[in-house]
Amino acid sequence: MPTNEAQAKNRRVVIENVLHMHPGVREAALVDDGSGGFVAFVVPDDSYMDEALGRGTAGSTVLGKWQKTFDLSQLNKEAGAAPVGFNTIGWNSSYTRSAIPLGDMREWVENTVGDILQLRPRVVCEVGCGTGMLLMQVAPCCDRYVAVDFSPVVLDRLRAQLRTVPAIAERVEVLERKAGDLEGLDENSFDTVVVNSVVQFFPNVAYLTKVLESAISAVKPGGHVFIGDVRSLPLLQAFGTSVELFQAADELSVGELRDRIRRRVDREPELVLSPAYFLSLKHKFPKISRVDIRPLRGHADNEMTRFRYSAILHIDHDDSAHIDGEFLDWTERKWGLDEIRSMLKQHPNQRIGLKGIRNARLEEDLAAMAILDGADAADTAGKLRQRLEQGADEGIHPQALLDLEAESLGFKVFLSLAASRSDGSYDACLIPAKEQKGTTSPAINWPEPAASAFAHFANVPGQARMRSELTDQLMAHCNQHLPQDSVPRKIILVDMLERNA
Amino acid sequence: MKGKAEIHDFVQELLTRSGDDQPLTDQDSLLLSGRLQSIDAVEIVVFLEENFAIDFAQIGFDRDQIDSIDAIHALVQVASSGT
Repeated sequence: MPTNEAQAKNRRVVIENVLHMHPGVREAALVDDGSGGFVAFVVPDDSYMDEALGRGTAGSTVLGKWQKTFDLSQLNKEAGAAPVGFNTIGWNSSYTRSAIPLGDMREWVENTVGDILQLRPRVVCEVGCGTGMLLMQVAPCCDRYVAVDFSPVVLDRLRAQLRTVPAIAERVEVLERKAGDLEGLDENSFDTVVVNSVVQFFPNVAYLTKVLESAISAVKPGGHVFIGDVRSLPLLQAFGTSVELFQAADELSVGELRDRIRRRVDREPELVLSPAYFLSLKHKFPKISRVDIRPLRGHADNEMTRFRYSAILHIDHDDSAHIDGEFLDWTERKWGLDEIRSMLKQHPNQRIGLKGIRNARLEEDLAAMAILDGADAADTAGKLRQRLEQGADEGIHPQALLDLEAESLGFKVFLSLAASRSDGSYDACLIPAKEQKGTTSPAINWPEPAASAFAHFANVPGQARMRSELTDQLMAHCNQHLPQDSVPRKIILVDMLERNA
Repeated sequence: MKGKAEIHDFVQELLTRSGDDQPLTDQDSLLLSGRLQSIDAVEIVVFLEENFAIDFAQIGFDRDQIDSIDAIHALVQVASSGT
């Protein structure tokens, strides 16, 4: 081997060895940067991230911060004047950073309440009840309602509002507790546990699983755990693109836009989950007989209806009469709403399953991602938006399909996001109404996610800071142990290293 | 203006930890612009509670009060004057 090559190889080995000396490094590899230096790609050591950088103990800090956030939201002067059962203080749009329109919030509350009432709750525990937006409408239909929250200021607001509605208050018990401290709830004592728009504030998946374990234990056979308004991991990139493009000035370069999207996703402080996580719970908790994953209902176009879903855990149900059947591949024919309507009229006694329906709610966001992928870094956000205006609409709005139920066609419509596709496409099962008894959803064998969806359930909230700290440490470590011309020009953390054969 | 310098340094540290290396002026919007997230607001609140004895339970809270270094400093001055 020529001397220069041998020297370069030795230099590379020395640098990699120095990197491996640091306890935060599980694997490291160097790549020439083309100007005599190296870029180091590093896979972080999980134990180090958990213990030395506090990822493992970050939970209590994260929960403390969210609790304070909710406390502060209720110290706003407007909070005291909010109508009973409709305190939307703190519900701000990620796009505009100002309040989500009241009409959208009203529809969100109505649809969520409708979904919960379909489960026929009588004895409910709501984890993360907040100021009672759901409680005020669900509790009147119940015999007992236990409302749990960790924010003392929020609970003070709730108690003040409950004092104005004694007929509701008399069946409500308010408990100040963290979601992870649900021990003490008697086993099989509720028919419904509601965890709505809460899990995104949990520090990690392990905490969520602990909460759900308590919830599942507390629900009696035939009951449900309703986990609503969950942020979708498969759609996190689409969400980041959507928000950053909305906020971008026309003259912003595509290169900078891509950086902003990457930073937004990296810095995500909330827990974002794949539907596959909830499906995997069936194997962990035998009490779960099946799991439904549903898109949010609603005509409003906002970040909740586009990028969130609900998960319903059916507890010890008799699902012997589950519905099998083929799902037609929607992508082959791309049936529109009118064609589907015709199918229902032509086959009034036949179940129809459709898989892979393009989600019209996400049409623009998916188109933006595709255009951004191929765009030149010097292009601008303005030009990207112009190209979006020329795009075609192929998908079907989920609510438009659900609205077919009201058209006297004689069908019930059920939708699912269980397949966890990154394009947000969904599946539908249209069942003759006379076949469908009761108001809860039938046990349908929905298309399942690809195996890869089970490998990555969730993001790591706030990981950007810990990763930034590790990168700083590694750079300081290299500066301490290597000659200046051998210090990597850049250190990039990755989840895994791909090796050439 | 010792208080303002401390406030500036603290906010700068928050931004740096978030990977934001853009210049910071006293007038720049922090929360409404999205440079800092709502969970970062908590860090500013705790900083003010611990260093300037501000009690938000007494005075109420609004994002606008801490949306810039100038706004934070004005809040501190009002709180310390007892008005």
